[in-house]
Amino acid sequence: MDLFANLATGFGAAVTPVNLGFCLFGCLIGTLIGVLPGIGPIATIAMLLPVTFGLSPLGALIMLAGIYYGAQYGGSTTAILVNLPGESSSVVTCIDGYQMAQKGRAGAALAIAAVGSLFAGCVGTILIAAFAPVLAAFAVKFRSPEYFALMLFGLIAAVILAHGSVVKAVGMVILGLLVGLVGTESQSATARFTFGVPELYDGVDFVPLAMGLFGLAEILSNLDRRRDPRAAATVISSLWPSRAEIRRAAPAVVRGTMIGALLGILPGGGAVLASFAAYTLEKKTSRFPAEFGKGAVEGVAAPEAANNAGAQTSFIPLLTLGIPSNPVMALMMGAMLIQGIAPGTAIISDRPELFWGMVASMWVGNLMLIIINLPLIGIWVRLLRVPYRLLFPCIVVLCCVGAYSVNSSTFLILMMAGFALLGYVFGKLGCEGAPFLLGFVLGPLMEENFRRSMVLSFGDPTIFLRRPISLCILLAGLALIALIIIPQFRSRRDEAFQE
Amino acid sequence: MVRVRSPQDFWAGILFILFGCAALWFGRDYAFGTLTKMGPGYLPAVLSWALVAIGGLLTARALAIDGPAIERSQVVPQLLILAAIVLFALAIERLGLALAVVLVAVTASLASRDMRWSETIALAIGIAALCVLLFVHLLGQPFVVWAF
Repeated sequence: MDLFANLATGFGAAVTPVNLGFCLFGCLIGTLIGVLPGIGPIATIAMLLPVTFGLSPLGALIMLAGIYYGAQYGGSTTAILVNLPGESSSVVTCIDGYQMAQKGRAGAALAIAAVGSLFAGCVGTILIAAFAPVLAAFAVKFRSPEYFALMLFGLIAAVILAHGSVVKAVGMVILGLLVGLVGTESQSATARFTFGVPELYDGVDFVPLAMGLFGLAEILSNLDRRRDPRAAATVISSLWPSRAEIRRAAPAVVRGTMIGALLGILPGGGAVLASFAAYTLEKKTSRFPAEFGKGAVEGVAAPEAANNAGAQTSFIPLLTLGIPSNPVMALMMGAMLIQGIAPGTAIISDRPELFWGMVASMWVGNLMLIIINLPLIGIWVRLLRVPYRLLFPCIVVLCCVGAYSVNSSTFLILMMAGFALLGYVFGKLGCEGAPFLLGFVLGPLMEENFRRSMVLSFGDPTIFLRRPISLCILLAGLALIALIIIPQFRSRRDEAFQE
Repeated sequence: MVRVRSPQDFWAGILFILFGCAALWFGRDYAFGTLTKMGPGYLPAVLSWALVAIGGLLTARALAIDGPAIERSQVVPQLLILAAIVLFALAIERLGLALAVVLVAVTASLASRDMRWSETIALAIGIAALCVLLFVHLLGQPFVVWAF
């Protein structure tokens, strides 16, 4: 079978001392920032992008991927022990996880979360290995109209699945698209919105934008909270769940994995959405709905499995179509471009060692994480006592040094400060940074593909409707828009986000 | 007098309109072209108008439908963090990496309400050493550690 030969290639590339080291480092960092509230994977990956300049492409991608799924493991620790989401995708785990801890079942909750994540991670990895090549082979037929339709669909999905107001999310996408247009235009070499600043001729640099918008803006808004919300962590007695707990958790893990894997592939999806959806489903279908909110095992098992599965499968659109489905994937795309790799259908055929090496590393990384998180749990609990007043100056320093190291330009540092302010102000007004970042990344690609489509069709915009694949994608987008207009779904969506 | 019923939406709308108008103004000279041969100004103009429209919709809606108030900003801590970043930009080439990092760490720490001087100075020196080790020695970035 091809799959096994390919996986053998992957393990050959991933299981070298150096790459195992990167994998372990990524998983450790991921767990660390997952455990610490106030810093998430988006900000961390943005801060580490400058560090990856000097690494090998595979090593860099293995490390950054490890941070993303590692954060899913770490986030549950804080959620269960302190009732704080260490990471936005473990918000729902707080509800029942902390209640379990209050009842003295903290160890069991942690073990279930970690083992559930491991199961979901392995399934997610297998899904990538099985489906990505098929999808990539199919996508070879795609031309500019299909790509444009896909990106449009991605933006629509990102807007609809975003938290909060749809209108504001649309505004943020458009603003992101506009910022993405800054720089020299490819056809006529016109410099657009550059104001004569040489640093802007190649477009707004990705690294300072992401660090400002996510890392620093988050600090600015955290400083408005009155006090350090860190409470004393619960004591852990035994890590072993009881037999009854296992019997209830196991099917929930499987259901959570399925939902997570599905929502991860969807544009705009990923770990956060997956965990919310999985929790809602468990609550709706449970035989003991009254127990939810009071320490139901399923309420920990399903969302934790879902967020890890979603984190893994959200790599599929990036690795097969070159389209990032969420901000973390946009950053991974940035990392690939820095390394001179164009994400898209050609990755699997042209750089098999890179694709399969990454897949293999995810499996290895999940194994590492279970060791990092269960036997070594005591270390992470102690880290929770590091106060925020020591943490945030370190983040500010790392962002500054990182922005300067992009190309030794002080302009980029000032631009980063600008984006930090922008992110903070828009955050105050209930507008999220995620749609902005997706618009920014997709803007230039969409313009290019739209222009090519128009050249192809001699200026006839119906080309998008006359090609079957692009028509299907656009219809799917329309269906999504219809969903949001139908009031019943709308109230459901609001309900889902409120829980 | 019209009352703003949803301050968050209102000001978000105003900001979108402002950004849209700015983009229209600065992009006024870019050639628009036709659909077949799109000029460099085509997409910027379309997007700017769309942004203005979205902003207008938000602003109008904010006058009709109630929404949450804007959470108050502390202002001073935020300004301190931004000042720390600007300070770094000014200091990195004049003073070198080590001192610039110390400056940033101390200025940023001032933003915290329960900051302690001894702790902050230890932190600043520690992270400066770490940055020099990581970026200059391990990653080989061309930073100047001491500028004098």
